[in-house]
Amino acid sequence: MANQLPNGGFQGGPEDPKLLTKHKNHISNEIWTRVSDSSGEDEGKDPEAEEIDSEDELSLKSDSSGEDEGKDPEAEESDTLEDEYLSSGDDEGKDASAASESAEVENDSSGEDEGEDLKAEESDSSEDEVSPRNTIGNVPLEWYKDEEHIGYDRDGKKIKKKARKDMLDAFLASTDDSKNWRKLYDEYNDEEIDLTKDEIKIIRQLLRGKTPHLEVNPYEPYVDWFTWDGKGHPLSNAPEPKRRFIPSKWEHKKVVEYIRKIRKGLIKFEKKKEELRFYMIWDNESAPTEKASQRLSHIQAPKQNLPGHDESYNPSMEYIPTQEEINSYQLMYEEDRPKFIPRRYERYRVIPAHEKLLREFFDRCLDLYLCPRSRKKRINIDPESLKPKLPSPKDLKPYPVTCFLEYRGHSSFVLSISMEASGQWIASGSSDRTVRVWEVATGRCFRVWEFDVPVQHVAWNPRPELPILAVVMGQEVLVLNLGLGTAEEQEKVKELLHVEAHSVPDDNGENQSVVSWSQHDKHDGIKLKHFKTVSLVAWQCKGDYFTTVVPSGDSRAIMLHQLSKKQTHIPIRKLHGLPVSAIFHPSRPTFFIATKRVVLVYDLKKIRLLKKLQTGLREISSLAIHPGGDNLIIGSREGKLCWFDLDLSSQAYKTLKNHSKDILNVAFHRSYPLFTSCSDDCTAQVFHGMVYSDLNQNPLIVPLKVLQGHKSVDGRGVMDCKFHPKQPWLFTAGADSVIRLYCD
Amino acid sequence: MEIDGGEAARQVRVRFITKLPHTLRVSSASITLPSDVTRAQLSNVVNTLLNTGEHEVFDFIVDGELVRVPLEKILIAKGISAEKVLDIEYFRAVAPRRQQEPELHEDWVSAVDGSNPSVILTGCYDSFGRLWNSSRLCTHILEGHTDAITSVCIINSKADESNDSFHVTTASKDRTLRLWKCDATDGPYPRRIRAVKVLREHTSAVQSVSAGPFGNMVCSGSWDCSIKLWQSDYPNMEGDSVLIKKRKMDNNAAAREEALSEEGAISTFLGHTQCVSCIVWPEQETIYSASWDHSIRMWDVEIGKDTVNMVGGKAWNCLDVGGESSALIAAGGSDPVLRIWDPRRPGKLDPVYNFASHRSWITACKWHPRSWFHLVSSSHDGKVMLWDLRAQFPLAVIDSHKDKVLCADWWNGDSVISGGADGKLCISSEICIP
Repeated sequence: MANQLPNGGFQGGPEDPKLLTKHKNHISNEIWTRVSDSSGEDEGKDPEAEEIDSEDELSLKSDSSGEDEGKDPEAEESDTLEDEYLSSGDDEGKDASAASESAEVENDSSGEDEGEDLKAEESDSSEDEVSPRNTIGNVPLEWYKDEEHIGYDRDGKKIKKKARKDMLDAFLASTDDSKNWRKLYDEYNDEEIDLTKDEIKIIRQLLRGKTPHLEVNPYEPYVDWFTWDGKGHPLSNAPEPKRRFIPSKWEHKKVVEYIRKIRKGLIKFEKKKEELRFYMIWDNESAPTEKASQRLSHIQAPKQNLPGHDESYNPSMEYIPTQEEINSYQLMYEEDRPKFIPRRYERYRVIPAHEKLLREFFDRCLDLYLCPRSRKKRINIDPESLKPKLPSPKDLKPYPVTCFLEYRGHSSFVLSISMEASGQWIASGSSDRTVRVWEVATGRCFRVWEFDVPVQHVAWNPRPELPILAVVMGQEVLVLNLGLGTAEEQEKVKELLHVEAHSVPDDNGENQSVVSWSQHDKHDGIKLKHFKTVSLVAWQCKGDYFTTVVPSGDSRAIMLHQLSKKQTHIPIRKLHGLPVSAIFHPSRPTFFIATKRVVLVYDLKKIRLLKKLQTGLREISSLAIHPGGDNLIIGSREGKLCWFDLDLSSQAYKTLKNHSKDILNVAFHRSYPLFTSCSDDCTAQVFHGMVYSDLNQNPLIVPLKVLQGHKSVDGRGVMDCKFHPKQPWLFTAGADSVIRLYCD
Repeated sequence: MEIDGGEAARQVRVRFITKLPHTLRVSSASITLPSDVTRAQLSNVVNTLLNTGEHEVFDFIVDGELVRVPLEKILIAKGISAEKVLDIEYFRAVAPRRQQEPELHEDWVSAVDGSNPSVILTGCYDSFGRLWNSSRLCTHILEGHTDAITSVCIINSKADESNDSFHVTTASKDRTLRLWKCDATDGPYPRRIRAVKVLREHTSAVQSVSAGPFGNMVCSGSWDCSIKLWQSDYPNMEGDSVLIKKRKMDNNAAAREEALSEEGAISTFLGHTQCVSCIVWPEQETIYSASWDHSIRMWDVEIGKDTVNMVGGKAWNCLDVGGESSALIAAGGSDPVLRIWDPRRPGKLDPVYNFASHRSWITACKWHPRSWFHLVSSSHDGKVMLWDLRAQFPLAVIDSHKDKVLCADWWNGDSVISGGADGKLCISSEICIP
């Protein structure tokens, strides 16, 4: 076909961008600048051009428009991320457009050629040499529609349009002329061409799909003009198809899709490292920790020197020492002497070790297998850092440290001590059946009361103006007037401690049988006769009520007495377990009862169980309440001390295993942040127990001092401990019948 | 001295000076002594120089410090050149040379007062006060308290010195103070006398009593945390003393008698929060008090307010004011340390001196009435110690008590009297205070 592109234009190969650009430059230098311009503007003129242009042109246009289409989504998608890609795409697009330009150029030039051919044909009537008269090239003839000429001839002169015939005339002429159907109008050259009979024939042949004329030999022998040998050229001589120069739309879509996915994070670039299934046994580095956790920890074998030639079983003669040399070795020092003297053996089997070789291999493997060397894991932790951060006891002074005073006089276990509110006196009850009151400052025994039974427990009335001591002896509780205080106070006390004979409280008969109030016959005080042995007495802070604990009393184990009315109540009848101790809350009407395992918190007004503290201890021996009322310490027979924060939970805030033997008593200081526990191991331990008013802050417990000094008698140690109400001093009562005062 | 002599031959030249009488004076010529002489060797040297035949123990002062370590060390510590002639002052060692036979009481001796050189006043836990004359004879028994006496004080009033009678006051655990008038009359000893006046206002045990400098007032400190001032002189302070051999008196009559002579306090100082354990009244306008609430306070008598409040870390048991210009405060408490403050110093919270040779609570401390440097202290560990401010360790330890010593005082300028839980009143005499 006339518009077929000549191959020569693409000889360098279309892939070669250099060539392409070169070509482009060439074009721009040459005549077709205008064409290229027009192709640059082609967007606007597309529809018109489509109509007129030849097929090639059209296809070119469509391609370029395709490129444009391709560009549009690009423009949409363009973003910083893909700028690079897009810019490269742009470049490609440019290249492609350049290629199309070049194609166009070729096209046009070919058209020119053809024109020449046609002209030659016309003039010479020989087909090959005819060249077109018009030189405008392959441009839409529409451009010349309004002009008087249709183009330029070779000399640059305008080719005038011929006057157009009237349509009617033309029709008439055509009807007249019988040969009119052979005529063709060549718009390009503005002339009419008469097709000859032969030409018609050829056309017909072609239309029928046959050879144009008889001379055509369809089976001409194929002449391979190309010399193939030694040339690395592609097999096909076909021109590079155009699509190779055009960026693929599909690919572009795909790329855009990928970009989208990458942006969304659907595609990830970090490849999963493949875990090595195999590893070097004798690797330089020790096995990583994860491996170590899976299998036996790998230990690097010691590196051995590589064997040298001299260690060969059959070394060259030069390595074999001569006899003289061997002799000279004997003269050397032991450490300088060579460890190995090379020797020659004819064969491997002759080596003395060979016989045992296999055995040795086996043993060695067995060694490795059976005796794996294991690495001792050493934890490098400073033991100090594991300790809780506690303030130094030095900063928590004052607290009792040294024993300065001893109160001697008892002849047996001092079972209980109690402090007077002002701190001037201390009372003690002993199993030698006496109650003594001591002067704190001098250690002088102020008075002695003698009884018939061992004194189990003493408790001083907390009100300073009431010098009354509650004394527990066997089944009796004696509320004793100590005879201290001013005359008026004494009168009051006497009045308080006066019980009319048979003044039975107006209570039901059961209580009556449980407790009977009467005047003590020997001493100044009231005797409360219980039905069973009493273990403990505790005053309420206002000094009117006191409670007694009868451990074996079942439903009447805890009794509440009112001194002013001489009445007895049994507030709590249901108790699971033996009661051990009972105390009053320092400010609220709350009551704490310790049984062997649990501590029960009762509301005294409503007689209602408020809380049940699970201690987790085997046997509670004592409890004490913080003067603030929200913290409780519990001592147990197994030597454990529990701190309960009542606001926090019903579980122990802290449990201290501090004594080796039974804790017999615990105590809080009234004003200093101190508490203590005393035990059968003959020690009393003092702790700093700071309770903060800030509810978010947990109490601070710091062990301060282990106070020793008491001697063990019959396996019993320190029986009771009490703090001085105002000084940071601690009184301890021991089984060695001594009361000791520890001062700061 | 030259070093070429070596260590052993290092020597110092010393000159002994003294304020002792002529018989005990050595020549003021300088002598050369080895530099490592100790106090005992120095004492021997002086004895040799004196050549009196009797061996006397001397104490030496170098540059204001008692010689307790080898001379060499003092020189180094004080930076004194060994080439100069060293002046060493010597005096007879402050130590009791005679331990008199103790006077036995029926109970613990809780208080003692030796401020009058002619008598010793003791208070006892058997509720009697006793007066002993200089020949250690119990002249008076003060009868009337119903509980242990905690503190006693002789009221040294200048007006009364003319007629051989003097007044004493006692404080007791029965919450009262009593005033007594004692006549130095001859007669069958001991005379039992009854109080001329009962001062009854404290609501708790009275722990301490002290007479004012003019003898017209007494102040007392008590377990009820208050300090009370009482009038002690009034016109008819005579005629109440009754010679009673047999204490058979109608209770009602006694009560009536006492009721007649009762009197209330002039004023009350409130401020302490715990027991006022010791009180002294050295000057008319100032009262010093020590308390178990860890504070030592100075009270202005006129306005009744505490002007100085020194809070220490201990509960105080005893207090005395004396020393240099009677301004130093010595106090002992619930630990074995005797502390001395100088309230004139700006930062007066930390003590100037700490003497920590006792092993238990200090129960009493007293300044020597004349000396600036000497103190006596007694402790629960059963020891009475004599102190010099210039030495870190006690000058002498009197170990005559078998039990706690509860009180101690100077007597007559050269004796130390002390009473303890063993019921003894010990008198250690012939102490030469220079």
